[in-house]
Amino acid sequence: MRRSFLALLLAWLAAGCAAPLPTRTVASPLPADGLLTERAVLTARGKQFALNGYLSQSAAGGRRLIITEMFGQTLADVLIKPDGTVQVLRSSRVLRPAWIKRFIAADVQCIFGGSPGPVRKLSETHFEIRRLWYKLDVQIVETRPGPQPKELFDTPAKP
Amino acid sequence: MNKTLGIAVMMAALALALRAEEPPLRPVADPRPILQDLQRKMSTLNTVCLEFAQERDLKLFAQPLRSEGVMLIERPDQIRWETTAPFQSILLGNHEAVAQFERIDGKWQKLKLGFPQMLRRVMEQMSAMNQGKLDALTSDYTITVATGSLAVLTLTPKDETIRSMLASIQVKMLPDYSATREVVMNEPGGDFTRIIFKNERRNVKFPPGTFDQSAPLDIAAVKTAITHAP
Repeated sequence: MRRSFLALLLAWLAAGCAAPLPTRTVASPLPADGLLTERAVLTARGKQFALNGYLSQSAAGGRRLIITEMFGQTLADVLIKPDGTVQVLRSSRVLRPAWIKRFIAADVQCIFGGSPGPVRKLSETHFEIRRLWYKLDVQIVETRPGPQPKELFDTPAKP
Repeated sequence: MNKTLGIAVMMAALALALRAEEPPLRPVADPRPILQDLQRKMSTLNTVCLEFAQERDLKLFAQPLRSEGVMLIERPDQIRWETTAPFQSILLGNHEAVAQFERIDGKWQKLKLGFPQMLRRVMEQMSAMNQGKLDALTSDYTITVATGSLAVLTLTPKDETIRSMLASIQVKMLPDYSATREVVMNEPGGDFTRIIFKNERRNVKFPPGTFDQSAPLDIAAVKTAITHAP
């Protein structure tokens, strides 16, 4: 009985897992100053979620990612400082703060910051990240080069 | 130079004058007769095809984030919401099921949806709003109406948790309630999403496959069929 439960648990875990990609680095497709619009499909435990991402970058190295669902609702807002520190500015029931900090910020650095990670470049605008628990397919659908508002990269004052 | 400046000043003055003449919105004390009238008018619609421009206005960004697409509705319950730029995505819904397709590397991929019930509910509410079935929404929203140069229906979520994410939905219609012009989703912090509808076509005949949740007909083929229908 105990063995069958263990087998069931392993099968359940395996169904949700994807073989992680080997760690590597890719050249950032992001202009020094600019705003990228991304469309991503997140696959976790066999379920898929389509997300929109808006990633701003400053020449100083700060990055700010806002993730929304189809109709515009913000699911996550994360600031990555030039020194790599991560601040979660907004989270949601779908994307929790710990998840944003641990995985989303790491994935941003992987694709856009030249950090090593389980990433594969499928084309100049198409990337895949595969970790043990999820797969993320990211397409860059729009690039707007140019300086972004400075406030995007500042830690917001507490209300 | 002076002439150009003069024209610009005149146009600005004209715009101000026109704005000044726009009647301010007046809240309606009892919106029920208006909602019934709206539902009666919209009930004559069997199908509707609308193009939309969606603007996500975040205080942080200097410019709104834009996308565009098409919305198709067929009574009693079929809806297709398709984003055509800057990415391609199709959402299809009816009372029984919902499906989503994403265009990845030139191929349509059907998603294995997480939270399909939630998405189906959103699609149902969108369909109800665009068919004037607002009484179906009164369990979830408090509805108020204001009239003026446009009729504005404001839907405020009754659920506190939802209200913490979505302050209100404003549906802006022509003053005679004959068509929806704009939907604005306001968030508590001041950010909002505006969906502007245009090129509305009513009672068109959609070709087979338009709402097929396994292999939806390409939107170009749908548009061609609508345009060439007798």
